[in-house]
Amino acid sequence: MPTVTFEQPNGTATDVEVAEGGNIMRAAVTNGIAGIVGECGGQAMCATCHVYVNPEDAASLPELSEDEDEMLDCTTAERTENSRLGCQVSLGGALQSIRVAVPSGQV
Amino acid sequence: MSTAPATCPFTGAQATPDTVPVHAGTESAVREAPVADWVKIEDLYRDPFPIYQRLRAEAPLHWVPAVNRYMVTSYAACHEIEQDEARFSANERNSLMKRSMGHSMLRKDNPEHQVDRDSYGATLRPGTIKKHWNGIFAQNNEKYLGELLAKGPGADFVWDYAAPYTAENLRLICGFHNATQQDMQRWSQTMIDGTGNYADDPEVWAKAAASSAEVDAAIDQMLPYLAKTPDHSLLSNLASMPIPLEAIRANLKMTIGGGLNEPRDVLATTVWALLQNPEQLQAVRQDPALLPKAFEESVRWVAPIGMYPRETTQELVLEGVRLPAGARLGVVLGAANRDPLVFEDPETFNIFREKKPHLAFGGGVHFCAGTWIARAQVAQVALPAVFEKLPNLRLDPSTASIDAGWVFRGMTKMPVLWD
Repeated sequence: MPTVTFEQPNGTATDVEVAEGGNIMRAAVTNGIAGIVGECGGQAMCATCHVYVNPEDAASLPELSEDEDEMLDCTTAERTENSRLGCQVSLGGALQSIRVAVPSGQV
Repeated sequence: MSTAPATCPFTGAQATPDTVPVHAGTESAVREAPVADWVKIEDLYRDPFPIYQRLRAEAPLHWVPAVNRYMVTSYAACHEIEQDEARFSANERNSLMKRSMGHSMLRKDNPEHQVDRDSYGATLRPGTIKKHWNGIFAQNNEKYLGELLAKGPGADFVWDYAAPYTAENLRLICGFHNATQQDMQRWSQTMIDGTGNYADDPEVWAKAAASSAEVDAAIDQMLPYLAKTPDHSLLSNLASMPIPLEAIRANLKMTIGGGLNEPRDVLATTVWALLQNPEQLQAVRQDPALLPKAFEESVRWVAPIGMYPRETTQELVLEGVRLPAGARLGVVLGAANRDPLVFEDPETFNIFREKKPHLAFGGGVHFCAGTWIARAQVAQVALPAVFEKLPNLRLDPSTASIDAGWVFRGMTKMPVLWD
């Protein structure tokens, strides 16, 4: 099964298994990962599942849609070039594992 | 792709919570829902919060005969419902909202809901707001704040400003170029009254039906016009989509009901709260960047939509309480947002409190589609201008303001003075 590693601001890391096609936000919420809210249930409408993707994994990700891009301007923690919305990044296929850092704030 | 620091104009300052809501009580023994026969509608209407305190302290949910529903008042239980549409359906039977407004996306589950939701396109999204709506909101704000100023001290903040301002914004967002902001206010109120017509008053139904027919006629007239003359409105977007007319009508009526009274109420409640808290008022006067925080705290403190319905699809246990299949629930956001297990000193309006996710915009697939529109027109456009253009704004000490309601709560009267 694909795996997401969530790294918290305090350095602790948690591995979570995801079903083929599952996204990072859903994996976090289902497994009670602190710091991922996912208020809007995955519609790229709330900007509360912001993560920083490990730069080495970034190249294998789908491109930002316009919706995700504008919503990333509304994150509480600073947007960087590694910022993504967890709900817009699905695992599976060539992407079998990814490491993401959870920001210090989502609201 | 932009890599500049986050420049969202809507949400304001940073915060650093990394906690998730507390889910308590699931491991204790399963019990039946207690009955709260002492809860009366008229008491809820006047001030629901002491009632919510008592309910929440006793159990996460109760059967409330006066409301003919289970009222769910704990944050954890409300949050669990929002995130699980398989067990908690939005498509409730005998829905008053369906009768009043038609079967909108708000009462559909996925996949049907998503088709309707997607049909709203980019109209309500932050990019369109920044590029298009903010300028229009600013013009409308100047006009209606000007009318309040012209009326002079003693004018009513809700009815002489907040209501016409938010109604005019919504008129243009919807694309009703054949209606007035007064039409929007009448449509909104009468159809909302139908949605809350638990007493089955025939006069309320007659008024709701009349408004519903007026909205249908207005939509029928606008769709061909906007197909030829497109703009950024919802109806313009819908004019080119393969969406059944019945769904367009129901969704627009839901949007009229959900897009006017709520920003109006948040605007007035936020100002009312600030005017009664001199230190916080002073802080936002000195630093208008705090106004988005005041907005978020206001919707936490008094959620403009205080309760919405769900129905269980199976027998289940929610936070340790057994519910039968087909149970009618009221998800009481107004109570969840004051749950002391999540919010410290929850009854107090405090813009400096530790930021945590409130439930005022709902959650899950029905997360409010107008969230960013509300933040823009209220926190970004209206509030800064109110405190700039109305020096020494204060409540009129000779005529008391009135806050009322529970399913919908806001200011029903708010006379103000300024220098």
